[in-house]
Amino acid sequence: MLTQKAWSPYVAGIVIGLLQIPAFLIIETALGASSSYVTIGGLIASWFDPALLKIGYVARHVAINAKNWWQVALVGGIAVGAFVSMKMSGARRQAIAPIWQRALGSASPAKRYAVAFFGGFIMLFGARIADGCTSGHGLSGMAQLAVGSTVAVAAMFVGGIATATLVLRRI
Amino acid sequence: MSVTLAIAVGLLMGVVFGFALEKSRVFEPGIIVGQMQMRNFIMLKVFLAAVATGAVVLAALNGFGYVKLAPKAALYGADIVGGLILGAGIALAGACPGTTLAQIGAGYRDALFTLVGGLFGAVAYSYAEPALSKTFLGQGGGKLIFSDLAGIPYWVGALILAAAIVVILVALESWRPWRPELGNDVDGDIASTLAASAKTIHIVPAE
Repeated sequence: MLTQKAWSPYVAGIVIGLLQIPAFLIIETALGASSSYVTIGGLIASWFDPALLKIGYVARHVAINAKNWWQVALVGGIAVGAFVSMKMSGARRQAIAPIWQRALGSASPAKRYAVAFFGGFIMLFGARIADGCTSGHGLSGMAQLAVGSTVAVAAMFVGGIATATLVLRRI
Repeated sequence: MSVTLAIAVGLLMGVVFGFALEKSRVFEPGIIVGQMQMRNFIMLKVFLAAVATGAVVLAALNGFGYVKLAPKAALYGADIVGGLILGAGIALAGACPGTTLAQIGAGYRDALFTLVGGLFGAVAYSYAEPALSKTFLGQGGGKLIFSDLAGIPYWVGALILAAAIVVILVALESWRPWRPELGNDVDGDIASTLAASAKTIHIVPAE
């Protein structure tokens, strides 16, 4: 099973959902990912501009406490887990997924890197406005029946579908 | 809890999370962009299965009094504006904030640009936060949950949600079975898979 290239999306989804157990029992919080970008980004930016730490929002996120750094470790662990899973299955990826040539109408790596940077930028800017991403609002907020999270997830799909349909080409 | 222990727990959970994301293939740009172009539904399947599981787990943990819920406050302006921008970013990045790291682990080089862009985006928001939180984006209600609105216990509402999701997933699976959605290279690239099989079928035999 660990060496398979793919699991049923339902099995994988159940494994991900079960991670709420240690999150709530041990860390007393829900699964999330986007706050860790403020912790790491804020920390690095504060080396260049120490005044950034005077913003309460940043100070709260870079503070050395269990919740902030648990999430940084969680997000870092995702890269490790994906790497190990990939090695065990023997799957190989190209540097850029083949679908991008069609989606962007260009095989230029530079164009893809620029779009990825811009996409990442607005992804986190939006996630921080909404106070959560696909994990915090999606997985955790919807499981908790949160009204605001459900609105945020609906908006994410509307924004994503509109952009993928109007800006990207058919993959 | 000590920060060191929290980091150890986080790493361990992250490895499991990353493993499951990789095995589900939901981190593939082909699957995420495919979902947003409504050609591939693996992302929705993984997402809803995880939400339903989380709901059942929390129904039990909260229902028996082991844990308190931690829903985010309902800030409708911020949820809508932020959600729309985040969604646009997900389509262009072909990733979400968590799956970006799975892409890096799996060897996608463009995901490094997504990560750095994300860090810049988070810092840009941090500079803007004091001003933005004074606008309509900072306005909203409390930690509103649907079961309170309906006047039922959380665990009942959570189990109803999980049951509804199971019905949706059974219908989704019979409409779009998951295996063909993976594609030949398990990256959700259905178009290439279809083109390859068309080539095999229509090949003209040499004389």
